[in-house]
Amino acid sequence: MLKYVIKRVLMVIPVMIGVSIIVFALMRVFSPDPAPIVLGQHATIETIEAWRDANGLNDPVVTQYFKYLTGAFKGDLGTSYYTKTPVTEEIFARFPATIELAIAAIVFASIVGILLGVVAAVKKNSIFDAAGSLFALVGVSIPIFWLGILLIMFFSGYLHLLPSGGRIDVLLKPAEVTGFYMIDALLEGNWEAFGNALQHIILPALALGMYSMAIITRMTRSSMLETLGQDYIRTARAKGISEGKVIGKHALRPSLIPVTTVIGLQFGSLLGGALLTESVFSWPGIGKFTVDCILKSDFPVVQGIVLLVAVIFATINLVADLAYATLDPRIKYSSKKER
Amino acid sequence: MKKSARLLSLVLALALVVTALAGCAAESEEEPAAEEPAEAATVDTFTYAQGADPRGLDPALVDDGESSKVIVNIYEGLLKYNSESTEVEPSLAESWTISDDGLAYTFKLREGVKFHDGTDFNAEAVKFNIDRQLPPKVTEEMGYAGFVFGSVKDVVVDDEYTVTINLTAPNTAFLANLAMSMAAPIVSPAALEAGNNSVMETPVGTGPYKFVEWNKGENIVLVRNDDYWGEPAKTKNVIFRFIADNSARVLALNNGEVDMIDGIDATVVEQITSAGDELFEAEGMNINYMAYNTTTPLFKDQAARVAFSQAIDREELVTSLYQGYSDVADTILPTFVPGFDATVKQVEYDPEAAKAGLAAAGITKVHMITYTNPRPYNAATGVALATAIQGYLQKVGVECTIDTFDWTTYKEKVRAGDYDICFYGWIGDNGDPDNFMNLLSDPDPTMNVARWQDPTYQQMVKDALALPNGDERNAAYGEMEKYVAERAIWLPISHAKTLAAFRPQVSGFVYHVTGNVFLKDVVVAAE
Repeated sequence: MLKYVIKRVLMVIPVMIGVSIIVFALMRVFSPDPAPIVLGQHATIETIEAWRDANGLNDPVVTQYFKYLTGAFKGDLGTSYYTKTPVTEEIFARFPATIELAIAAIVFASIVGILLGVVAAVKKNSIFDAAGSLFALVGVSIPIFWLGILLIMFFSGYLHLLPSGGRIDVLLKPAEVTGFYMIDALLEGNWEAFGNALQHIILPALALGMYSMAIITRMTRSSMLETLGQDYIRTARAKGISEGKVIGKHALRPSLIPVTTVIGLQFGSLLGGALLTESVFSWPGIGKFTVDCILKSDFPVVQGIVLLVAVIFATINLVADLAYATLDPRIKYSSKKER
Repeated sequence: MKKSARLLSLVLALALVVTALAGCAAESEEEPAAEEPAEAATVDTFTYAQGADPRGLDPALVDDGESSKVIVNIYEGLLKYNSESTEVEPSLAESWTISDDGLAYTFKLREGVKFHDGTDFNAEAVKFNIDRQLPPKVTEEMGYAGFVFGSVKDVVVDDEYTVTINLTAPNTAFLANLAMSMAAPIVSPAALEAGNNSVMETPVGTGPYKFVEWNKGENIVLVRNDDYWGEPAKTKNVIFRFIADNSARVLALNNGEVDMIDGIDATVVEQITSAGDELFEAEGMNINYMAYNTTTPLFKDQAARVAFSQAIDREELVTSLYQGYSDVADTILPTFVPGFDATVKQVEYDPEAAKAGLAAAGITKVHMITYTNPRPYNAATGVALATAIQGYLQKVGVECTIDTFDWTTYKEKVRAGDYDICFYGWIGDNGDPDNFMNLLSDPDPTMNVARWQDPTYQQMVKDALALPNGDERNAAYGEMEKYVAERAIWLPISHAKTLAAFRPQVSGFVYHVTGNVFLKDVVVAAE
């Protein structure tokens, strides 16, 4: 097992290097030269050259990449061209917002998704099943930014019920402890701030969670159907156990194992920063920031964020793999076999 | 099994928490409504929404409008603009004298002014701020240092409240530079020393508002400077919020979440006014123009350029392209810039004369290049403008081919110079007429895109720059406008207006022609 863990951890390194090469190359091939963007209307050819020199952009690309890589290994991702702030600082100023939104979205997606999935499975081929499937289909297919704009138009523009964007009314902002406004507000016992943060998070969480919700619904439904077809369910029913108990206890629990995996993976992808949702809702996370930085050719920041997201994905996959290995004794990763 | 049970209970517990909390949210929603009637007639917070975060808040290190709007409320310069034009007025300097040779500018500074950190504003502070933007200290990241202080030789402290700035050559536009929101605002030297020569995130100035915090990607909070040397600001808190999406910004305004927004275009005007919010239109400090490449055989002669210009109905063009949100440009200078001359006329629309003239010049095919994106001076995109002009020329028998590029590539193409006609524009920096008129004498072809080198005109630009502000100097710029118009080097198209929108409760803001918004006197009436 230990060998497997070490091997698995070591395998993350080539993945990271691959990701960094791809993003490094893509930024340099497809993005416009950052120098005129950074230096503005008055930039002369000389100042542009001087700036490119100072930022190492006149070096051969391979040299640039190795400089970047050695820096990255030391935890130095460089400095934003545009704000001149270290990239790690820029990212960590925004990361709590992204995590908070991802948690809210996955909570929404899990609750609604599992409920819908169970109902659809239990009432198979009924109107509920059809409605659930349709809802899931819509959830998977609807463009997220469009859904976001519709939600804003309806709940903010028409009903005036919820704010159209942002994380909190800044004057209510709690003192920063964790960076998660809802938790910070609770720590302060500031219910007004908490309520305000909650109001702000509802619409973006709905929009962002819609896709995951649809996936979870489908997964729950199929997993539930499979379990309900098992012999032991028939036996349970034959024993006279109430239908509620059969579904809630005997069928739901085992059905949730694959669903849990899906929830975990979905959460991972939400952490990667919801580019569109964050942009539409002015949510100050890394997703919106990535979009801004791509548009400005801010190479170090984009590279830093992509690398971070890759680390998150790799870690989640790693944890999931290791968890399987621990949880399910049938899965053997022993390297003995190979010998 | 146990694991999944635990998970399920976790999910259910979360669901319970969320439901319970939703209840709390509903409660807190009602609270402010109950308190309001007891309050005075104004609200103590004004919220302004713009499209993006500032790049930073150190006036020497930034060059963008989003930074500038925040900066002008925190800092002040030696001089400021008149609220209606770009004429300069005293600010931190009470008065100034210029030596006869035009090389020494002596400023008498306002006494008793303190920076937000409690340190004194004085001649040393002025010297410190300018010195950091002069060689050898200046860096290439100080985008406006060369523009604003490029003609400065040195700065001499005469006494605590008198400072003399010596120039290397006479440059009357220097006064306008000192009123700019970039490079010129005076930063607390103590703060710069503490911040290692940068106050990007810790601005300290002398202005009516003090910096409180910057939540990246979200907002910047300012609070009234109660020790302000002038009359203190009327509203206690000012918040700049960043909402990238245009329609979301409009919704936030209509929903009453923010009090004022900018960065809007003609497409959302109806949405704003129908919600009962108001529109603010200001003339913009810009020019949108078409330039002839005066080095090509096609357009090296004045007659050919005039004939081509005669084919274009600018009135109709501007109305249809910009739907009332740009004015037809009869001059290169916007109307509020000193030196504007209403008697200047561009080539008149005359399709018959155009047809004859173009035939005489033997012009049947013209190669145009343009940009695909909207620009601040051309909301309709360069492509839309070029296509419209292509249509006019087709009517008089000239075929125009158009090559289109994204903005960065386009600038490269302009530098390369392979075109008969290109489209460009300029956003004024300091409100001085020289800032616009010297484009046509610039040796750099990316500035002077008509590639026009006329010694007489170049001398006119040089002479006018040295004249002291006043009627004689203004008249000189009128002459230059006429000289260029007669030769049809450019065809000025339009001046784009600046659009902002605000709630009817808001009053007292100064939305300046430079695009900055001064919030010292802003008031938000309670609903």
